[in-house]
Amino acid sequence: MEDRGAAIFGAGVGMNAAPPELILEARDIVKRYPGNVALNHVTFRVYRNRINVLIGENGAGKSTLMRILAGIETADDGEIFLEGQPLHMESPRDAAARGISIVHQELAILANLDISENIFAGRELTRSGMIVNRVQEDKQAVSVLSRLRKSLHVHTPAAELSLGCRQIVEVARALAHGSKILILDEPTSALSAVEAESLFQVIGEIKQLGVTIIYISHRLHELLHLGEHFTVLRSGCIVGEAVRAYVTRNWIVETMSGRTDMSYAKRSPGGEKHAVLAASGVSIAPVADGETAATALHDISFTLGKGEILGVYGLLGAGRTELLEALAGCRRATSGDIVLHGKKLRIGSVSDAIAAGIALVPEDRQRDGLVPELSIRENIALASLRGAWLSHEKECACVRQLANKLRIAARDLELPVTALSGGNQQKVLLARCLMRSPVVLLLDEPTRGVDAAAKLDIYRILRGLTDEGLSIIFTSSEIEETELLADRVLVLCQGRIAAELAGTGITDAALFSAASPVVASAPGRIEGRATA
Amino acid sequence: MSSVAASLSRADRIGDSSVRLVLLLLRARAILVLALLIILFTVLTPDFLTPNNLSILSKHVAIFAILAVGMTFVVLTGGIDLSVGSVAGLGGMVAGYVITQGVSFAGAVHYPNAFAAVLACLAVSLLVGALNGWLVAKAGVAPFIATLGTLYIARGAALLLSQGKTFPDLAGQASRGNTGFPALGQSFFLHLPTPVWIMLLLFVFAALVAAKTPFGRHVYAVGGNERASVLSGIRVPRVKFISYLFSALCAGVVGLIIAAQLEAAHPATGESFELNAIAAVVLGGTSLMGGRGSVTGSLIGACVIGVLADGLVMLGVSEFWQIVIKGVVILLAVAVDQLQSRLQVKFLPYLRRSRPEVA
Repeated sequence: MEDRGAAIFGAGVGMNAAPPELILEARDIVKRYPGNVALNHVTFRVYRNRINVLIGENGAGKSTLMRILAGIETADDGEIFLEGQPLHMESPRDAAARGISIVHQELAILANLDISENIFAGRELTRSGMIVNRVQEDKQAVSVLSRLRKSLHVHTPAAELSLGCRQIVEVARALAHGSKILILDEPTSALSAVEAESLFQVIGEIKQLGVTIIYISHRLHELLHLGEHFTVLRSGCIVGEAVRAYVTRNWIVETMSGRTDMSYAKRSPGGEKHAVLAASGVSIAPVADGETAATALHDISFTLGKGEILGVYGLLGAGRTELLEALAGCRRATSGDIVLHGKKLRIGSVSDAIAAGIALVPEDRQRDGLVPELSIRENIALASLRGAWLSHEKECACVRQLANKLRIAARDLELPVTALSGGNQQKVLLARCLMRSPVVLLLDEPTRGVDAAAKLDIYRILRGLTDEGLSIIFTSSEIEETELLADRVLVLCQGRIAAELAGTGITDAALFSAASPVVASAPGRIEGRATA
Repeated sequence: MSSVAASLSRADRIGDSSVRLVLLLLRARAILVLALLIILFTVLTPDFLTPNNLSILSKHVAIFAILAVGMTFVVLTGGIDLSVGSVAGLGGMVAGYVITQGVSFAGAVHYPNAFAAVLACLAVSLLVGALNGWLVAKAGVAPFIATLGTLYIARGAALLLSQGKTFPDLAGQASRGNTGFPALGQSFFLHLPTPVWIMLLLFVFAALVAAKTPFGRHVYAVGGNERASVLSGIRVPRVKFISYLFSALCAGVVGLIIAAQLEAAHPATGESFELNAIAAVVLGGTSLMGGRGSVTGSLIGACVIGVLADGLVMLGVSEFWQIVIKGVVILLAVAVDQLQSRLQVKFLPYLRRSRPEVA
C-alpha cells in the first residue's frame, strides 16, 4: 500500500477516499466517582482502521473512558456498541475476547516473568489444554516482536527491560491476541524521543495490519503527526470532534482548555536573590525491587533563591521524584551536600528535613498523601500534631485560616477529605505542609489529576506564597506547566542535569530536546550536548 | 585507545563471571545448607547415615514437605495459609471418626471401608480450603486473618468430633470390613515408606503445575503484580481459590498419614505445623511477598528442617536449644534472601551489559 513514512507523518488527509466506518461507539456514558463526575454523558466514536486521537487535559476523563472501553471499569450508565452490536464487558478478559486491548499508562507488565511469558499471560498456549507450550509461545513471541521490528530476546526477564521495551511488550501482547482495537494511553509519556519515534513506526505497522487505534497523548506535535480523527474531552464532556483536515494546533489548545488565554500571574522579575538552598554533587544509588525502580542520580548541583520557583522537568525515569525525595529525606543520598541558609544539613530522615524547614507534597496524593478516613481538618493538621495534648480550638483556627488562604472549596472542614475534588485535595496537602511553616516547599507533580481551572488557581496560590518569601521546587512531566510556573528550570535526563533554563529560555523545544536522552551514547557522555 | 577498550572489557568479564558465581551460589543456598548439614551430622553421629535412620528421617521430611509443597502456591500468590496444621488435625479426626464410629444411616450404623474414610477426610479438608479461598479471593479478607480464623475453626471442629478424646485403634476390624487404613502410613513400596511416595507424587505434580501449566504461570503472575495480572485478563480470584484448595488438600493428606502411622487420631495433631511449613517455604527461597520461588525449593527447605531436627535430636541437643537453633536458621535464610536480591539489583547492570540484545 502506501509508503509507511507517509502513513505516519502524512496523517491520512484525503488518503482514504471511502467514508469512515464506525467500529466502536460508546453512547451516553456516565461514570461517577465520590466527589466528582468523571464522564458526563459522553458519546465517543471510533472509526475502523484509523488512528483515533482522544485529547484532554489531566483529569478530563480520558483514562476513565478508556478503562471502560477496556472492561476494567463499568460505566454507571450508557451503552457500548462494537460493530453495531451492543457490548457487555465485565472484565479485561471480556474486552480482550472481543478484540479490544489496552496499553496502560501505568504499564501492566509482570516484572517477575520474561517477555514471552508476559505476552501470553492470561492466554497461554497449551498442548491439549494442559501443559504450556513454551516452544510455540516463544515462536509466536519472536514473530510478533519481529513484526514490530524489535530484536528482543524472548527469555529476557521483564524486570530488566527499559520502559520503552516494556511498552513494546504490551503492544506485542495485544497483537499476539489478534486485537481489532488497540488503545494506547499516553504511550510516549515515559519514552525518549527516539523510543517514541520507533513507537510511531510500530503504530504505522499495526495500522497496516488492519488494527484500529485509539491514541491518547498530551503531546500536541505527536497528535498532529499521527492523528486522523480527533475527539476532545474536557471535564467529562466531549467538546469537539474533527478529522485531521480541520485540526490545527490552536484548535486543539482552545478546545481542550476552553479558553484562548493561558496566561496567569506574571512571573516575578528575576532580580538579585540570595540563595536559600544549595545542593552540590548530590548522588543517589539506583534501587530496584521488582515493582518500584528508582533512577540513580549523578552529581546534581543547583541553588534555589528566596521566593524562587524552580522547576524540575524530565521524562519518566529521569530522576525527578528521586531528587525531591533525596531533599525531603525519604531517600538517602550517597554523596553530596545540601546547604540551607548557609548551614550544611544532615538529612537522615523525613523528620530531619521537616525540622530544617523542607516539606514535600508527594506525587501520588491518594497513596502517599491523604488519609481518606480522616476529615479535611484532620488531614491538614496531621503533620503539625505535637506535644501531649491536642488543642482543638487552636487547631481549628489555624486550619481555617489556611483553608481560606488556599481557597479550599469545602462547605465544612469536618467533611471527609474524599468529598473534595482533585484540586482541593491537592490544596489540603499544600496546607498540611504550610502549617509547619517551611522554608522550602517541594512539590512532586503539583497538579496531577487536577482540572484546568483548579490548576491555574494552584499556580496563583503558589506564586502568592513565593511573594511571601517561600521558595518552591516542583517537578512536572508537563511542558506547559513547567513553562507557566517556573522561574528557572532544571532539566533532568537519566539522573543528570542536562540543562538549566531560565526566563525566556524556557521553551517547548529547549525542554524537549534537553530531556530526551541521546541514543547510543553510554551514560557519562551526556554533558556538552544540552545548552541553556 | 583499543588497549583501553580491551582492558575495560576484560575487567567487565571478570566482574561478570564472579558476580554470576556468587549469585548462583546464593540461589543454590538451600541445597548447599542441606549438604552441609548432612555432612556435619554424619561426622558427628555415626548412626546418622544408616538405612534405619534415613527411613525415619524420610517419614518426618515427607510430612513437612507435603505441607510445604501445598503452602508454596499460596505463598507464591502473595498469601499465607496458617490453617494447614489444624486442617491436618481435623482431617485425621474425620478419618478416625468414620473408621471407629461409623456412619448412622436409617437407624443403623454402617462402617464404610478405609477408602471411604480417606475420601471423607479429603472432602472435609477441601471444604476448609474452599472457605479459605472464598474468604481471601472473593470476600477480600487478608490471608493472614482469614486463615487464622479457619485455624481455630478447624481445631475446634476436630475437638468437637470426639469431645477432645483420641480415636484409638484405627486398624479397623475385619468383621466391619474397614481394615487397611494404617497401610497409608506404615507400608513400604519398593523399599521406600508409602508416605515418601505420596510426598514424591505430590511434589512432582506440583512442580509440573508450577512450571508447565497456565495455572502455574498465573500463580507467579498474581504474586508478582496482582493489578497487572487483572489487567492481563488473568482470573485472579480463581487462581487464589485453587491455591488455597490445594494447600488444604495437602494438609488433609498429612492428617491421614499421621493418623495411619499412629493408628490413632488425636485432635491436637498438627499444632504449629503451619510454622514448619512456612519455614520450609522460606528456606526454599520463596518470597513471602509472592511471585518468586519454586516448589523444588520448598522440598529442599523441608529437608533442611527435617534433617536439622533429627540430627539435633541424635546429637542430644536440648529440646529447647533445638527451637532456638531453628529460629536462627530461618532468620539466616531470610537474611541471605535479602542479600541475594540486593546483590542482584546491584549487579543487574553488569549482567545486562553482557546481553547486547537487551537494548
